[in-house]
Amino acid sequence: MTFVTTELSLFFEEYLFLIIGYAVLIMSSYLILAHLSTRELREYLKKNSFVDYDVLLTSEFAPSLSLIAPAYNEGFTIEENVKSLLSLNYNNYQVIVVNDGSKDNSMEILIKKYDLLLTELDIHPKIETKKVRGIYASRNAAFKKLIVVDKENGGKADALNVGLNIAQNQYVVCIDVDCILDKDALLKLAKPFLESHGKRIIATGGVVRIANQCVIKNGRLVEVNIPDKMLPRIQVLEYLRAFLLGRMAWSRLDGLLLISGAFGAFDKEIALLAGGYSTKTVGEDMELVVRMRRYMLESKIPYGVSYIPDPLCWTEAPEDFKIFKKQRSRWMRGTIETLSLHRKMFLNPKYKLLGMISVPYWTLFEFLAPGIEFIGLVITFVFIVMGLLNWHFFVLLVLFVYFFAVMFSVIALYNEERSYHKYPKQTDFFKLLIAAFIEPIYFHPLTVYAALVGYKEKIMGTKGWGEMTRKGFTKK
Amino acid sequence: MKLWELYKSGTWVEPFLMLSIGLFIITSIILYVLIISSRSRNIRRNRRLTDYNKIIENLMFSVVFQDMPFSEVKKDENFHRLMNNTFFREVLIDSIMNLHKNYEGNYAEKLERFYKDSGLIKDSFKKLRSLRWEVKCKGITELSEINCADAFDRIIKASQGGNKILKITAVNAAIKLGGTKSIIYLIKYSYPIDDWTQINIINAFKKHDIGDTKGVELLLESQNTTVIALGLKLIKELKLTQKIPYVTKLVANAPNTLIKYEAQNLLQILTVK
Repeated sequence: MTFVTTELSLFFEEYLFLIIGYAVLIMSSYLILAHLSTRELREYLKKNSFVDYDVLLTSEFAPSLSLIAPAYNEGFTIEENVKSLLSLNYNNYQVIVVNDGSKDNSMEILIKKYDLLLTELDIHPKIETKKVRGIYASRNAAFKKLIVVDKENGGKADALNVGLNIAQNQYVVCIDVDCILDKDALLKLAKPFLESHGKRIIATGGVVRIANQCVIKNGRLVEVNIPDKMLPRIQVLEYLRAFLLGRMAWSRLDGLLLISGAFGAFDKEIALLAGGYSTKTVGEDMELVVRMRRYMLESKIPYGVSYIPDPLCWTEAPEDFKIFKKQRSRWMRGTIETLSLHRKMFLNPKYKLLGMISVPYWTLFEFLAPGIEFIGLVITFVFIVMGLLNWHFFVLLVLFVYFFAVMFSVIALYNEERSYHKYPKQTDFFKLLIAAFIEPIYFHPLTVYAALVGYKEKIMGTKGWGEMTRKGFTKK
Repeated sequence: MKLWELYKSGTWVEPFLMLSIGLFIITSIILYVLIISSRSRNIRRNRRLTDYNKIIENLMFSVVFQDMPFSEVKKDENFHRLMNNTFFREVLIDSIMNLHKNYEGNYAEKLERFYKDSGLIKDSFKKLRSLRWEVKCKGITELSEINCADAFDRIIKASQGGNKILKITAVNAAIKLGGTKSIIYLIKYSYPIDDWTQINIINAFKKHDIGDTKGVELLLESQNTTVIALGLKLIKELKLTQKIPYVTKLVANAPNTLIKYEAQNLLQILTVK
C-alpha cells in the first residue's frame, strides 16, 4: 500500500511539473509573439502614416484584382452585400459572386436587382469543380464589374475554386459575402504585391474584427460598438488577441500559416499551380496557405506572405453557444485536417521556419492544447477522488493560469489603445475589461469543449460545415 | 545560489507560482493605468487641438484674406502666448500645409511667406536634420509642400538613403521641387526599385504636373533593369511620344526579354495612339 501511495505521489509530482512546464512553454511563446507583434505593429503604423494609397487609385499599374464571394442562402442580405462590394475604393477589379446552389431566392434577387443576363465566357477550368449552371453579367453599365456564377452546391471551397477558374485578373481576393469591408480594404491589400524585392508575394491577409452590434450604413461600418452579450463580446477580445498579438508576429517571422477565409488575397497563378482550394477539408483557408507555401518551398522559388494589421474586414460572430460550438468544432477539424495533410512538414528542415516552428507550434498549442487540458482535468478529478490533490498547489496553479489570461487580454487592449483606438467609448473599454476577467472562466472552457467536439467529429468522420445561421447587422 | 538550492530541493514550485501570479497582477495593473492615462491624454490633446484650431483658423483667415502682415500677427495675444508651445506649432504647421494644398497663386504665396516669417520653416529644417526617418519624412513633406527650393539638395541626399519610406517621400518631394533632375541619379542606382516605389514616382510626376520631362529617356540607359522599367512606365503614363526614338533604341539593345517585350509594347501604344 505504501509502495502504491509513494508511486502515486511520485506520479503526481511529475504530472505537476509537466503541467507547469507546458503552461510556462505556452505562456512564454504567447509573450514572445506578443512582443514581436507589438514591435511590428508600431513599425507598420509609423510607416503607414506616410503611405499615400490614393496613388493606386489613379495608377494603371495597380494590380488587377478579382473578388470572389461565395454565397449560400444569403438571399436576405445579398443585394446590399453585393452593392457594398461594388463600391469599394479601387479601380482595377471585378466581383465574382458564386451562388453555391442556394436553396433560397438568392439567384432570383441577383438577376432582378442587377439586371443579369446569361453570358458565354470563354473559360478553361484549371480545377475540377461541381457543374456550373450559368455565368451571368449585368446589362447595366453601372454593374459592369459584376459577374455572377450559378453552380451546383459543392461547399465553400468548391465555390471558391469556380471563382479561381473564372477570375480574369492576376490576383484573387477571397471574401465572405456577408463581411463588411473597409472602403480602402483593396488598396491596402494590393500594396504588398507591389513591394516584393526579388521574391514573389503569394498572399496577403487582413485583420478581421467582430461587428456584432456595430452600426452599418449602406454596406459600410459607421459606428463601432461592443456587444452587450457576453459570448460575442469576449470574441471581440479574442480576435484582438489573435490578430494584434499573434498573426503580426508570425508575419514578421515569415511563418504565417493562416489567412482568414473571410478576407485574403492570393496570387492566382500560384494558387492554381498549388491546386486551388481543397474540398477535402473544412479548413480550406489555412490549407491553401500551407499548400501554396509548400509549393513555393518545394519549387525553391523565393516568396513571401504579407499581413496587414489594419482592421479592414468586419464580421458577425456567433451569439449563441450552439452556433459557436459548430464554428469552433469546424475550426478544430480544419486544423487537424490541414496538419494531417501536411504532416510531412512537421520538424522537417526542408520547410525551413514553417516546418521547424510554425507547424510544430500549431500542432502543440492549437491542435493538442484542448486535449492536453482535458486530460489534465480528468487527472485532477482522479486525484480529488483519491484524496491525493494538494489543494494549495491546485489553487495556485489555477490562479497562475487565470491571471496570465487576464494579463494577456489587457496587453491586447493596451495594443489596441495605442494603435487603432477603435473603441473610444469609456463604457466599451470597461465592457472589454470585464470580458478579460470573465474569459478564462466562461469562454475558454467553451472553446475547449467545442474543440473536443471537433476531435470527436473528426474521429466519427463528420464532413461539411453544417448550417450557420446569422443574425444580421444593425442597420442605420 | 539560493535559487539553485531552491530548485534542487524541489520546493521552488510554490514560490515560482506565487511570484508569477504577483507579476501578472502587477503587469495587468500597470497596463490598465497606462491605458487610462493614454485615454485621458488623448482627451486632453483633442480638447487642446479644438481650441488651437479655432485660434489658428482666425489667424489664417486674417493672414490669407485680410493681408495681415506678420508684424501684426505677432501682436496677437494668443499667438504670442502659444508660439513657444511645441504642440501649437505642430498644429499650426499642419493647418498651413492643409491650406496650402487647397490654395494656389497669391494665397499660397502668403502662406509660404507666413511660414518663413514665423520661423516655422526652421522647425521643418530641424526635422530634416533628425536622425529618425519618420521625423525626417515629416520635415521633407512640409518643405516640399511649401515649395522650399533651398531644401532640394538635402532632400536629394535623403532620397539616397536605405529607408524605403524615406526614399519615396524624398523622391516625391524632390520631383515636386526639381522635376526630372531629381531622378537622374537613379541611372546609376544599383538596388532594385520595386513597383510600389515606381508607382509613387510616376504619381509624383502626374500630381505635380511636371511639364519638362527632359532626361526621362536617360533612365532607359541604366544598367539597372528596374530603373529602365520605371523609365518605360513614366513614358507610357505621361504619354511622352517624343521619346519614341529612345524606346526604339532600347528595343534593339534591351538587356533582357522582359524589358524588350515591355519596350515593344510601349512602342506599339505610343505609335498607335
